[in-house]
Amino acid sequence: MKLSKESVLGLIALATFLLLAVIAPGFLSSNNINSMMFQLPEFGLIALAMMVVIVTGGIDLSITYIAALSGVGAALMLTNGYGILPAIIVAILFALACGAFNGFVVSKIGVSPILVTLGTMVLFEGIILAITKGSSISGFSEGYSLIGNGYYLGLVPLSIVIFAVFAIITAILLSKTSWGRSVYMYGSNETATLFSGVKNSRVLMKVYLYASLLAAISAIIMTSRYNSVKVDLGSSYLLQSVAAAVLGGTNIHGGYGKVIGTVYAVMIFQFIRNGLNLLGFHSSLVDVVIGAILILVLAMNFFSDKFKKIAETKNAGKAA
Amino acid sequence: MKALLKQKEISILAIILLIGAVLSFVSPVFLTIGNFLDIIEGNVVIGILAIGMTLIIITSDIDVSVAALTTAVAVSIGYLFTFLPDSWISVLLLFLIAPVIGLVMGLINGLLVSIIEIPAIVVTLGTLNIIAGLVLYITNGNYVNSTNFPQSFMAFANYELLGLPILIYLLAVVAIGTWFILKHTLIGRSVLAIGGNTQSSVRVGIDYKKVKLFVFAYMGFLAGIAAIAQTAYTKAVDPNGMLGLELTVIAAVVLGGANIHGGRGSIHGTLLGVLLLAIMQNGMILARIDTYWQNVVTGAIIVIAVSYDHLSYKRSQDKLAKIEVEA
Amino acid sequence: MKKLTMILFAALLLVGILAGCVAENSGSSDSGGDAEAGGESEGESVQAGGEDGLDIAVVPKLVGIPYFNASESGAIEAGEDLEVNVNYTGPTQADASAQVKVIEDLISKNVDVIAVAPNDPASVEPVLKKAKEQGIHVMDWDTPADKELVDLSVKQVDDEEFGRHMAKKLVEAMGTEEGEIAILTGGLSAANLNLWIEAAQKEFDENYPGIEIVSEKIPTEEKQQVAYQKTLDLLKSYPDLKGVLAVSTPAPLGAAQAVQEEGLQDEVSVVGSALPTDSAPFLEDGSLDTAVLWDPGKLGYLTVALGKMLAEGEMPEDGQEIEGVGEITVKEDGKTVIMGPPADFTKENAADFDF
Repeated sequence: MKLSKESVLGLIALATFLLLAVIAPGFLSSNNINSMMFQLPEFGLIALAMMVVIVTGGIDLSITYIAALSGVGAALMLTNGYGILPAIIVAILFALACGAFNGFVVSKIGVSPILVTLGTMVLFEGIILAITKGSSISGFSEGYSLIGNGYYLGLVPLSIVIFAVFAIITAILLSKTSWGRSVYMYGSNETATLFSGVKNSRVLMKVYLYASLLAAISAIIMTSRYNSVKVDLGSSYLLQSVAAAVLGGTNIHGGYGKVIGTVYAVMIFQFIRNGLNLLGFHSSLVDVVIGAILILVLAMNFFSDKFKKIAETKNAGKAA
Repeated sequence: MKALLKQKEISILAIILLIGAVLSFVSPVFLTIGNFLDIIEGNVVIGILAIGMTLIIITSDIDVSVAALTTAVAVSIGYLFTFLPDSWISVLLLFLIAPVIGLVMGLINGLLVSIIEIPAIVVTLGTLNIIAGLVLYITNGNYVNSTNFPQSFMAFANYELLGLPILIYLLAVVAIGTWFILKHTLIGRSVLAIGGNTQSSVRVGIDYKKVKLFVFAYMGFLAGIAAIAQTAYTKAVDPNGMLGLELTVIAAVVLGGANIHGGRGSIHGTLLGVLLLAIMQNGMILARIDTYWQNVVTGAIIVIAVSYDHLSYKRSQDKLAKIEVEA
Repeated sequence: MKKLTMILFAALLLVGILAGCVAENSGSSDSGGDAEAGGESEGESVQAGGEDGLDIAVVPKLVGIPYFNASESGAIEAGEDLEVNVNYTGPTQADASAQVKVIEDLISKNVDVIAVAPNDPASVEPVLKKAKEQGIHVMDWDTPADKELVDLSVKQVDDEEFGRHMAKKLVEAMGTEEGEIAILTGGLSAANLNLWIEAAQKEFDENYPGIEIVSEKIPTEEKQQVAYQKTLDLLKSYPDLKGVLAVSTPAPLGAAQAVQEEGLQDEVSVVGSALPTDSAPFLEDGSLDTAVLWDPGKLGYLTVALGKMLAEGEMPEDGQEIEGVGEITVKEDGKTVIMGPPADFTKENAADFDF
C-alpha cells in the first residue's frame, strides 16, 4: 500500500503521541491532555494562515504582528466598555486592514511577498508600539475569557472546536472552490494561471485577507486565554509556523500543501514540546529536537521518493 | 553614464541620498566623518553576512541560520581564548580556525540542500533551531567579557590604519574578494548562471549541486569571519546578542536589489542595502524621532523603498520590451 | 489513502475528546476537595510522598541569560540545603504565551509550589488561577503578578526605592545637579523596567530640577551591542550629555563601552543595573560609575526557601532571619516579601562578587 505524505505524517504524530505516553510521566493524564488542547489552537491557526500564503509561493513574515495588532484592537474595545461581539468585529477589521495592505502591495504593485511582509512586520510592530507605548492592555470581562478558557458543551475546550471549524473551512475553501483551485494553480505556475483567465491579483488579495482573518481568530483566542495583549503577543510563533507548514508537506515554492498535513505537524510540535517539558528537558533542547525532526522528516520524504522512483523504473523494466 | 543610470542599484542610492539629505538638514552631526565611521564599523558584521547571503539569494535560495552560525563560531572563539597564548600568532590562528568552523557548519547546510534536496529555508530553519538551541544549552547564555580576551586580540580589535578601524578593512577585503569570485572565477559565473536560469545552465554543463554546496559553504566561511568581527566589535561574546539578526541581513540584501527569486543581485547593491538600514537606525536618534514611532518610520520606509524600486524596475522592463518590438 | 487520513485524524481527535471528558470530571472533583485544603494535604499527595520531599517549580521570564542563570544556581542550592526538589524551567524567549505553556506543563507535573516571574502579569492570571484550583501554591518572584492571586510575592527590592536610588547614584556620579541625561531601557514593554524608570524620573523631577532628560527612554532590545550603538548616537546628537541611566542588565555594559571608546569617562557618567562580573572591565576605568543590582542568586534562594515555608503552611514575618539570605522585610499586606536594599557595585568591590 502506498501512503501519502500526509498519512505518513499522521502516523508519525500517532507514534510520537504513543511514545510520549509511555515515557513521559503524566503525559496521558486528563489534565495534561486538556492543557494541550488549550495550547494547540492559537498556534494551529497561525500555522494554517502561513500555509495558505506559502501555497501561493509567498510567505507572510508579518502574520504574528497582524495577530498582535488585531488583539490590540479587541483589547481597546473591551477596556473601553464595549461588548464581546463589537470587540471581535474590530479585531477582525484590524487584521483585514493589515491583510489588505499586504495584499495590495503584493498583488497590485507586484513586490515579492517576503520583502513586503518584512517591511510590514516592522511597520505593524511600530503601530502597536505607538498605540500601546509598549505596555500591555489587560483586564477583560469574564465572558470574553471563556473563548480561550471555556468548554464547549462542558466537554471539549471551545478554542479547539473553533480551530477544528476553521481547519475544515480552510480545507473546503482550498479544495472545493474555484478560488482554492486558483490558489494552487497560481502557486505552481503564475504565468500559466494568468493566461488561463484567472485574475491573479484578486486571488492573491483574498489569500492575504484570509490569512489575516485566521490570524485575527488566533488573536482573539490568545487575548482571551492570556487576558492581556502586548506588542510581542505570539511573536515566537513566526518561524515555528513556517516550520509547521513545511513539515506538513507544504511546498515552500508554492503549488502544494494540505490542511491535514499542517494540522498533523502542529500536533507533532505540540506533543514534543509538552512531552519534553514533562520529562524535564532544558527548554533550549526542545528547539534542538524540533529542528532535528524537521530535517529528518524532509530527508525521509526525499529518500522515500527516491526509492519509489527506483521501484517504479524496475517495475517498468519488468513490464517491458 | 546611461548604462549606469539604468542599473537597479540607482534607485536605492537615490533613496539613501534623499534620507541623507533630510538627516543632514535635521542634524549637523550626521554629515561628519566620525559619524560615518561609526555607522560603517557598526555594520561590518551585517555587511559581511549580507555579502554571503547575496550569493545564496542569487541562486534563489535563502539561509535563515546565519545569525545562529555566527553566534556558534563566536562562542567557540570565546572558549578558544582560554587556550590561546597571548601573542599575535593567536590572532592569526583565529583567522584560520574561525572560518573553518563556520565552513564546516555551512557545508552541513549545503549538503542537505544540494544532495538531499531539502528546500533551503527548511534546512536552515532546522539548523537554526538546532544550533541556537545547543549554543544556549552549552553556554546557558553566559557572557564572556573582555577580561578573558588575550591582549593581542584587543590590540587587533582597536587597531586603526590611516585613521580607519581595522574592521572596515576586513569588510572591504570580503567585499572585493567576493566580487572577484563572482566576476572572474568559474564557480562565481556559475552562481550567476544558475540564478538566471537553472535549467539552461544545467544543460550547458554547470554542476548544479556543486554550486549550491559552494554558496552555503561560502556563507559558513563568511559567518566565521563575521564572528571574529562581532567579537572584535563588541569585545564580548553574548550568546543572545545576534538573536533575529538574520532578518536584518536578508532585508539588507533584498533592499539592495537582489531578487528573491534569483538571478539578480550584486555586491555593491547589497552594501547599499546595508547602508540604507544603517542610516535609518543611526538617523532615528539624530533626527530625534519619538521612540514609539521609530518602528513605524522604519517599516514605512522599507515598504516604500521596495515598492518604488519595484515600480521603477517594471517601468524599465516595459520600455525594454517596447524597444524590442519597435526594432 | 484518504480514508486512512480520516481514520487517523478521527482517532487522534477521539483520544483527545475522551481525555478531555475525563478531565472535566476530575477537575471538578479536585477543586471541590482542595479549595479548603491547607499545606498539610500537599505533603500527603501521592507524588511528593513517593519521592519524599516537596516539588517547587521556579519559572523565570526566560532561561539562558546571565541574570536568570545566577538565580537558578541560588534556587538549586536552596533545594539541596532544604531538601526539596527544585524544578527551574522557563521559556527560551521572554514571550508571555510561551511562559504560560511552561506553567501549564508544570501543573500537569503536579508540583507543590509554582513561583513565577511573569513576563506579563495579566497573562499568567488565568493559568495561576487554574494552578490554585488544582491545589498548587502559587507565588511570584522578581516581578509581581496579580496580588489577589498569589499566596506570596517575593521582591528583590522595592521598585520605587530602586528607581530613585539609581537616579541618586547617577547625580552623585555626575557631581552636579544640572545637565542633560539620557535613559536607556531593555525594551519598551518590560513592566518592571518601566516602573524603575518612572520612579527615577520622579526623583529627578522632585529633587533635581536642573536635570534634563533629553529624549524618551530608548529601547536596546536587551542587547549590549544595540545599547553601544545607541549610546554612540546619543553622544553625537547631544554633545552636552552628562549622564546615561541604563536600565536592564546588558544596557549599562553597552553604554559604558561607548563612553570608554570615546574616552569620555570623565565627562559622561553611566549608572545602571548590571551584574558585577559583567561590568568589572567597565567599572575598572570609570566608564561605568556604579552598577546597582541585588544578588540574583540570593533571590532564587529566598524564593525556594519561602516556597517551602508556604507549602508547609507557614508565612514569613517582618524582620525574620532567613538562613543564607539575611533579614527580610514583609509589607503590611502580609505577603509581599522584600529581600533587602539594593547593592551598589563599584570599582572597589566588584571583584568580591561571583555573579
